[in-house]
Amino acid sequence: MDYLYLDNIDEFVNDQNKIVTYKWLSLTLGVHVNTAKQMLYHYLQQKRNEGSGTPLHATYLVSGKCVENGSKCHKVSVVREDKLNAVKAKMDVTISVHVYSVQRAELKDSSPLYNTDYDAVKENIKNCNKYSTIRCAAAVPMSSAEVQRAQEMALVPPAGKEISKTGLNENTSATPKPSAKQPAGIMGMFASKNASKSQESSKEVKTEQKDDSSLVETSKSKTASKANPMSNLFGKSAQKKADEKPNKSVKEETAASSTAPAIMEQSQTSPKSKIDIKDEQSKVSSALKVESKDTRNKTKRPEVVDSDDEKMESQQKKRRRIKKPQPDSSDDEVVPDSPPVPNVQTPSPKKQVKREPVSHQEESSEVKRRKRRRVLKSHTFVDEEGSFVTEKGYVSESYSESEEEPEPNSQAKDSSSLKQSFGKREEEKKEKREKKTSTANKPTKQPSIMGFFQKK
Amino acid sequence: MIFYKRDAPLFIKGCCIYFGCFSMATLTRQDLNFGQVVADILCEFLEVAIHLILYVREIYPSGIFQKRKKYNVPVQMSCHPELNQYIQDTLHCVKPLIQKNEAEKVVMVIMDKEHHPVERFVFEISQPPLLSISSETLLSHVEQLLRAMILKISVCDAVLDNNPPGCTFTLLVHTREAATRNMEKVQVIKDFPWIVADEQEVHMEEAKLIPLKTMTSDILKMQLYVEERTQKN
Repeated sequence: MDYLYLDNIDEFVNDQNKIVTYKWLSLTLGVHVNTAKQMLYHYLQQKRNEGSGTPLHATYLVSGKCVENGSKCHKVSVVREDKLNAVKAKMDVTISVHVYSVQRAELKDSSPLYNTDYDAVKENIKNCNKYSTIRCAAAVPMSSAEVQRAQEMALVPPAGKEISKTGLNENTSATPKPSAKQPAGIMGMFASKNASKSQESSKEVKTEQKDDSSLVETSKSKTASKANPMSNLFGKSAQKKADEKPNKSVKEETAASSTAPAIMEQSQTSPKSKIDIKDEQSKVSSALKVESKDTRNKTKRPEVVDSDDEKMESQQKKRRRIKKPQPDSSDDEVVPDSPPVPNVQTPSPKKQVKREPVSHQEESSEVKRRKRRRVLKSHTFVDEEGSFVTEKGYVSESYSESEEEPEPNSQAKDSSSLKQSFGKREEEKKEKREKKTSTANKPTKQPSIMGFFQKK
Repeated sequence: MIFYKRDAPLFIKGCCIYFGCFSMATLTRQDLNFGQVVADILCEFLEVAIHLILYVREIYPSGIFQKRKKYNVPVQMSCHPELNQYIQDTLHCVKPLIQKNEAEKVVMVIMDKEHHPVERFVFEISQPPLLSISSETLLSHVEQLLRAMILKISVCDAVLDNNPPGCTFTLLVHTREAATRNMEKVQVIKDFPWIVADEQEVHMEEAKLIPLKTMTSDILKMQLYVEERTQKN
């Protein structure tokens, strides 16, 4: 057999510092995917036996059957080498294991893997399955008339699209669930912080005058369709919760009607960017899941959450997701080109939904935060320890202040457990914060987030 | 509050729309102001790149990062409001310099606890004098190149040593000639003035140069390399 390919792979991996996935290799060298997998395996063996030079890292694709949340499922995941044995042990039956990629860098998340394949597949888009083993007789390229029709359909509200995605994702496992909870813990801090912060900020801005009702309507339809992909991410067991979610989040949306403000201003891009997020979600939940790569799992937040907290989190998360599409330059969503759709969302200022001013402010502050529209307000006060704390707008550094303030909002619940764990470090943080604010003599402010994280 | 985006909403949308759909639309000189287009594209890219460097080099805990989509691939962006605001404000001020092609380099300096730089990620930017708009697929080509840059940043930890704990970062801009004199006169963002950087941040002792990626396109040329201190601890 011709062993030139070993040199090729060596060049890609070591000289060019590329990530060599089996898919990329098969498209580059023009070989069948199974051959590519074997090549990678062979290369890895050889390099490991030599034991010299730079360390290599590999990822594997493991697929097998397991029982998760009481239901049997076929799970396919991409795992790092160090997690390989653990994942294999968890499965009842391991059906296949093969090398997914070889690279020099130790990857922290799965994004570069996708990025690597993206261009290679794009170039060969017409025959990207030339070398693959997956065949479908019905998968035939559409004629141009059909393509046009499909494009017209795409401009119609995406509700239908979401539901069809639901069907596709049915069989995928619920691995994102734990990772989704973890970020919710830290992200929850952002949300609850701003909640309490907003009570202090008096400057509300025109934000509240925007239309609330139209947001409520659109959010209702959104939440309904949101529920489906969301539930897929959380697995079948969470489907019951998903049903409750739309109701609760609709209520929350009405309460949080002041999200209207900045959202409405750039509402044109919201529907499509929501699609983008869903695309992303479906990508995440599709066959390749990097469960072990998600280092968020390792963060401090204990996984013991009772069902109430879970609901709050998921609602909050849900609300966050709904709001996330609201376009923003630093959100860096691809701004879509769907001119007809914005008309649906154009605010028609009518009735103002009157809710507790507190929750208004919370939401507007949350949105403001997301929109990077921050009310710059400086509070300097002496806290318990006698240290001066200056807090600006929605500065998250003042985490411990929020503990002192009353939190009428139920959002506080899910961050309460976090607070307990942070309680000990409060003192240290306050000192650190002092130092940081005093050393911040440079006008270019350095964000100090040591107050947040007790970890690392 | 004013976002930089507000200043040129049409242009941003124009750019992003093209990025969004691998468009066949042609850019004509009359339609768009090129300096602004390039500046928008570049500032968006720099924002993504800075967030990604923060993630990959573990300057901040990975919990504050969230996957978002840019150039059709997932990227990690921070959710911390102050951090995001800082980066945005900085780039907002850099933008006019890029528009006038006065920015030579944008540097992200990573410093250890004693404020000595350990790594400097240098984005060298140059714009060709004659912006040619010949290609129909110009923007999708640029998007591809930027994607490759993002990928290279993701794997840069293979060629760099680990940083000591407790690092911070700062952003510097090297301008050509005396462009900054104008900047001082006009405060682009309130309470966010620029100051001349300390000598110790600009120059690093015992620096190793590690090139990461170069990109050349009709509208923009960019080089990314890392200056790394030989001994980090």
